[in-house]
Amino acid sequence: MIRYVIRRLLLLVPMLLGLSVIVFAIARLLPGDPAALAAGPNATPEVLASVQREFGLDKPIPLQYWDYLTGLVQGDWGVSIFTRRPVFEDIVTFLPATLELVAAAMLIAIVLGIPLGLAAAVWRNGVLDYVTRTVSLGGIAMPRFFLGLLLQLCFVTWLDILPLSGRFPLIDLPPEEITGFYTIDSLLTGDWYALRVSLAHLALPALAMSLSPLATIIRMMRASTIEVLQQDYIMTERALGLSSRLILFKYVLKNAMTSTLTVIGLYVSWLLGGTVLVETVFDWPGLGLYATQAILSQDFMPVIGVTLVIAIIYLLSMLIVDLLYGVFNPKVRSS
Amino acid sequence: MTMIQTSLPKRDPSARLENWSRAFYRFRQSWLSVIGLAIVAVLIVIALVAPLIVPYPEHVAGATDTAARFMPPSAEHWFGTNALGQDMFSLVLVGSQVSLFSGLAVVIIAIAVGGLVGAVAGYFGGWVDETLMRLTDLLLTIPSLILAMAVAAALGTGILNMIIAISITWWPAYARLIRGEVLVKKEEQFITAARALGAGPGRILGRHILPNIISPVVVKASLDMGFAILTVASLGFVGIGVRAPVPEWGTLLSTARGYMPDYWWTALFPGFAIFLAVLAFNLLGDGLRDVLDPKARR
Repeated sequence: MIRYVIRRLLLLVPMLLGLSVIVFAIARLLPGDPAALAAGPNATPEVLASVQREFGLDKPIPLQYWDYLTGLVQGDWGVSIFTRRPVFEDIVTFLPATLELVAAAMLIAIVLGIPLGLAAAVWRNGVLDYVTRTVSLGGIAMPRFFLGLLLQLCFVTWLDILPLSGRFPLIDLPPEEITGFYTIDSLLTGDWYALRVSLAHLALPALAMSLSPLATIIRMMRASTIEVLQQDYIMTERALGLSSRLILFKYVLKNAMTSTLTVIGLYVSWLLGGTVLVETVFDWPGLGLYATQAILSQDFMPVIGVTLVIAIIYLLSMLIVDLLYGVFNPKVRSS
Repeated sequence: MTMIQTSLPKRDPSARLENWSRAFYRFRQSWLSVIGLAIVAVLIVIALVAPLIVPYPEHVAGATDTAARFMPPSAEHWFGTNALGQDMFSLVLVGSQVSLFSGLAVVIIAIAVGGLVGAVAGYFGGWVDETLMRLTDLLLTIPSLILAMAVAAALGTGILNMIIAISITWWPAYARLIRGEVLVKKEEQFITAARALGAGPGRILGRHILPNIISPVVVKASLDMGFAILTVASLGFVGIGVRAPVPEWGTLLSTARGYMPDYWWTALFPGFAIFLAVLAFNLLGDGLRDVLDPKARR
């Protein structure tokens, strides 16, 4: 098992190397001159040249890549032309907010989706089945940014029980930074006021993001539970007189989880890449807003950095899913 | 030497008709698919005739009517008016053009590029396959929305640039799908037969393999149309999309966001249009899958 993990981790290295080449190539092949943008519209050629030298843009492209790669390994991910701060520091600042949002959304989707999918399969064609099927059809088609706006309209304008946007009130001090997750930090420090406020801010964006994974998880869970229920070994267990509850929770759930796990793993990265939209609606200070800002100002280094971070998290989450397969399905473990 | 006339066995036209009617019967079995098909048909008709039937065509071209700003929905303005006094009903209807056209273009380009890469990789195998598929895998790990945003922003606004940007992130999924199908099909007897008759790789791929793997591609394409429309609207929403006067659902929604609680109608109707279009293509795709790929039926 440990050897398998190490081998998989080593395989990540060439993938990341290839990824950095592709992302760098795309960033460099695109039209648009970041130096000209940074220097401003009235820059003289001398100013332009000095800006280009400052960011190393005057060197040949393969050399620029080499500089970038060696920097990458040392934690120097370049400097954002606009914030004038190191990209790595920026990412460290913004990443926890995005991760907290994605984790909360996935938590909602998993905690609701797995029991609902299971129940829909057990009481097939019942009322609950029709309700969840309708919700999941609509949930996949619903644009997250539109859902976010509707939630704001409902919970902020009409009911007036939740804050409109942001992560924490600007006038208050956020909880002491330990993990960077405001909810966990305020729990750790026992700051109940901060916990309440950060949960209130987190609720709507997390809800807006959770609908489409929730819909998919319900669908997957329902389909795979129905499939498992029709297997011969389930009939054998029924014939042996095991209680329905034991069969459902011990045997069916475990077997139905495998295909649902893949979806969960895929969704983590999909959500990370897609936070852009929800973060825009709720002014959530995460990677998505940072990337949007950088993209709109053609600031390459942050875009490359954010892309790489999300790709790394994607690869790692796929690795975790593969390892979890082994937990749920011993057949995978041996191969 | 005498020429021997041989004629290829013709397919009985009545058999083909029967296949179609059977497929249509299976499709009709699910009323959700029929609803999907109906909405898609209506959307296509709207997109084709919108500029001719909308009540205020001049607003679509960019004209404003500041005297009639923020009028709530009424008999005169079904969807109300926006900050510039433009009729939202006209804008939303014409907005279907950009969404449907660019969605379709993205899917077609993705199938063409992905199909070529996947077919070549699957058919030739070996290092060609390895190289192409590693590249595809790498591209699949890149967050597609951010990549599309970056490319679209760098190329500048405009429908064509947006289509190129989204297509770059879409073809790898088709390459994977088509490679898998080609791998299975190329081991079939009739391919060996075609090769024995002296057919080259181009002919085998084009005439014998591709027509046989069209079903899963069509199913994926119709499901993807919905998500392509969603991506187009997303780019519009973050402010990287079509140029200003051209109405587009995502851009309309993004503008409306600023006037949100008070003038809710400016956001509600474009948002609902996106939802309806995506839903319709998803339902249609599900129905097509049941017809074309009965094994995947749940």
